[in-house]
Amino acid sequence: MFRRLAISLLLAGAALDAGARTRPHYGGTLHVEIAGDPWERPTGVARRLVYDGLTQFDAGGALSPALAVGWEQDNNFHRWQFRLRLGVRFHDGTALTSAVVAASLATSCGSACPWDAVKAVGPLVIFTSDNPMPNLPALLASDQFLIALTGTGNGGTAAGTGPFQVTGFNNGVLSLAANENCWLGRPFADAIEIRVRRPVRDQWLDLGSGHADVVEVPAEQLRQAQQQRLSVISSPPITLVALELGDAGALANTNLRAAIAAAVDRSALYNVIFQKQGEVTASLLPQRMSGYSFLFPTERDLNKAQALRGGLAAGTLTMSADGDAAMQLAAQRIALNLRESGINVQMVPAGVRHADLMLRRFTISGNDPAAALERILWDAGQLAAVSEQSSADLYKRERTILENYRIIPLVDLPLGYASGPRVRDLRLRADGSLDLAGASLEDVR
Amino acid sequence: MSLRQKLLLLFSLTVAAAVAAVAWTVLLRIRQVFEQRDRDETALFVNQFQREFQHRSADVAAAIDRIAGQERVRNMAFELVQSGDAAPFLSEAQTLAQDARLDFLEVVGPDGNIVSSAQWPARFGYPEPAVREATRNAFLKREELADGSTALGLFAVQTVRGSEPAVKLIGGVRMDQAFLADLPVVPGMQVGLYTETNSSGGDAQDGGTFAEKHFVGPEGTMPGGAKYAGLIKAARGSGHDASGILYMTPDRADSVAATAIPLKNSAGGVLAVLTVAISRGGLVAEQQQVKATAYGVAAGGILLAIIFSLWIAARVSRPVEELARAAEEVAGGSWDARVPVRGRDEVSVLARSFNHMTEQLENQRERLVQSERVAAWRELARRLAHELKNPLFPLQLTVENLARARLLPPAEFDEVFNESTQTLSMEIGNLKKIIGRFSDFSKMPKPELERIDAKDAIARVRNLYAAAAEDGPRIEVVTKLENAAMPLMADPELLHRALSNLVLNAKDAMPEGGTVTISARNAGSNVEIRVSDTGQGMTPEECERLFTPYYTTKQHGTGLGLAIVQSVVADHAGTISVESREGQGATFVISLPRAKG
Repeated sequence: MFRRLAISLLLAGAALDAGARTRPHYGGTLHVEIAGDPWERPTGVARRLVYDGLTQFDAGGALSPALAVGWEQDNNFHRWQFRLRLGVRFHDGTALTSAVVAASLATSCGSACPWDAVKAVGPLVIFTSDNPMPNLPALLASDQFLIALTGTGNGGTAAGTGPFQVTGFNNGVLSLAANENCWLGRPFADAIEIRVRRPVRDQWLDLGSGHADVVEVPAEQLRQAQQQRLSVISSPPITLVALELGDAGALANTNLRAAIAAAVDRSALYNVIFQKQGEVTASLLPQRMSGYSFLFPTERDLNKAQALRGGLAAGTLTMSADGDAAMQLAAQRIALNLRESGINVQMVPAGVRHADLMLRRFTISGNDPAAALERILWDAGQLAAVSEQSSADLYKRERTILENYRIIPLVDLPLGYASGPRVRDLRLRADGSLDLAGASLEDVR
Repeated sequence: MSLRQKLLLLFSLTVAAAVAAVAWTVLLRIRQVFEQRDRDETALFVNQFQREFQHRSADVAAAIDRIAGQERVRNMAFELVQSGDAAPFLSEAQTLAQDARLDFLEVVGPDGNIVSSAQWPARFGYPEPAVREATRNAFLKREELADGSTALGLFAVQTVRGSEPAVKLIGGVRMDQAFLADLPVVPGMQVGLYTETNSSGGDAQDGGTFAEKHFVGPEGTMPGGAKYAGLIKAARGSGHDASGILYMTPDRADSVAATAIPLKNSAGGVLAVLTVAISRGGLVAEQQQVKATAYGVAAGGILLAIIFSLWIAARVSRPVEELARAAEEVAGGSWDARVPVRGRDEVSVLARSFNHMTEQLENQRERLVQSERVAAWRELARRLAHELKNPLFPLQLTVENLARARLLPPAEFDEVFNESTQTLSMEIGNLKKIIGRFSDFSKMPKPELERIDAKDAIARVRNLYAAAAEDGPRIEVVTKLENAAMPLMADPELLHRALSNLVLNAKDAMPEGGTVTISARNAGSNVEIRVSDTGQGMTPEECERLFTPYYTTKQHGTGLGLAIVQSVVADHAGTISVESREGQGATFVISLPRAKG
């Protein structure tokens, strides 16, 4: 009898304890460390914490409402109207209005917008264009079109409507406080401190010593992180690493651009530099999204490259690489590949504009191939509506784009983070960014 | 140049030349000694430096050896060999190089391809041929870098212990500014590294070109790098050490004794040139100090020599100078000049002879004066007698006539008496006149000088004798005067008397008539007055004796006229001379000092 009672009590206690662990707690400060700038696009960790877009992708990649609760197109995608969510306020208390949204969107893309005009009509934000805009709702979910209250802010940072608001930036630490009146509801953590420009090795040491709760795990170090038994979360391969080529000077010659595409050794990038993470690709859209990616050959063909280059004297081309050390290394490797085919390349700092070749990351978000393709083209500065829906049409379209050799896809990479033992419910959004609003700290009572 | 100056110059030059020769020999020897010391010191430092360089090579080899023995590296090699997957070790070389403080490190797999590269991480998968040919010793290699540049490095190769097939490590340190800065150098030593590549990848036989930008020292571009160009080119061209002294500035102290050491790869090609330069500042300063001392001693010697020469020259030349001075005095008429007689040398004999000679001269002059005085008295007496004898003879005849006339009748006596008294009066007058002339000559007055113009004095004489000339033979008096003023400080009466005498003489020389020309002109600082006649002229003998008192060429002259003229001219600090040829007249030339102002 006593034995049964004791067992029952132990089971009940264990059940209670299990229940306590599953229920998130409010409060506490989340310590995040990153190697880059928290505001940089497209993966700046602070952007999605402070700002919201009119639309967003849910965890499954489906487009869902955010600051806009509904949208509809007219005139065969030449006109869109978005109805704003009511009762939303910026961090400084300013009400979200269609005029503020229109002003924010107008300043976000300047003169190179996917639309010709954006205006506020009552609670509606209306976009019009002479060209069809079939994927505008998906484009508006990208981080470039996050809504900010222009002309305000703390320390030069404009107020947003996101779950956290900026409270300060001292000694390399960006401080964010929970937005009590967030339209999504209050986040669990009271505050987030983001230590910026911290080398990955130091981040990992801080994670191990408990000084950091969430740290970055670059794709090429995912395997190493797992070997070190870090608690790693990673996205699918949603970042396209591609070489963007200019079309001026020597690169105006399509054969030279084709020679460059043929000379790049993708397998070395994938196998060694990115440590077999993600997948090798020669297409803009990943295989899981398009289903035809395997049709684009990824093998290096040095003979073809040399044949295409022929006797063309390209001089010395310049190349820059965005991002971390792995991207720099990948760029150097590509330069080495190109040198083998007789094309001399000189590395220039990442900040240098108008480099002949730029190794860039493109974000592939959502699960709509046409929207994702248009987003990539938009990021590459090529304004072109992608309205094709069938795989065959999309393949043809993408082939046409790639045969211009302005963008040479190389590798699709995942994004990864590691979290400490006290962090719960850390998830990634569809674009690979951290969803810290849903994370909580376990040791908070 | 005086004898003393000549002697001084001769002695000084002789002594100075001797001192200079000694100083030059000493300085030459000093320079040789210092240069030898310089070479020895440089060789010592270069040897020290080369040993240090070899130590660095050994350090590199040891560092690679230590890495090859690490457990971590051995595990890596094992996994690499077992799995054949090089990807996990991509950044291994960077970590190992950082820990070992190496600039270059590459892990090379069994296939000879790079697994991991610290200096060029993107180079994985490419072959590294250097691991095949290298030995355990460190060697030089030019390494390509990601930015397209190359860097010179001191490399070593080692096989990871226990790896089969062999996994190798090749690594080293960059030979650059930092490498040089890390080398121990003694004060005053300066090291540099020239690392220019050329198209052939090796050394050019002629040393190739020199670009200063490729020549670095521990603190950046080598200061005065261009000065090393010759040595570096020589070392590159020959493949052997080249040494020399380089003057960095015109200041000799700012020079270095430099040695260029070619650094070669395993094939013997020159990849770079290391320069070791030792400052010669201290050495030159020491040398200059010794030189300054030598110069000081030499200068002092020369100065002493000059002083000694002065004393010698004075001692030798003083008796000669005294002799010369005394001789000049004798020549000037001071026959009583004597020179002191010192010692018993040849100069003292000469001095004694000189003194004896002047004594003899003085005695002879005294005797000559006495004899001349007697002759003069005799001449005077003769003249006086001659002059007095002429009037005395008529006087005697007249007195005798008068005495005889006493016997005549009174009427005739009266006539004779009257004639005799007239004759007596006339002859007595002649006697007075003769005596007056002698008296005048003996009482020449002292001139009272005043400023006059020579033209006025000449005009006065011309006016006087132009009127008087009408009475006698036809004599024309002509004057030729310069327009410019001819001022004189003169006694106008005495000058008039002198000129009048000359004009009278000229008239006397032309009994048949003729022309007397009086001319005057400025001649430098003098005024020259010329009185010319067109008479018969004089012989040279007559001209010589013309101004001798009591000498005359006239039948009834006293011989005192021209003597008076000469006396007047002499009293006015002037000179008088005569120019004459027989049958062509005579010209008396008076030259008087021109008055100043």
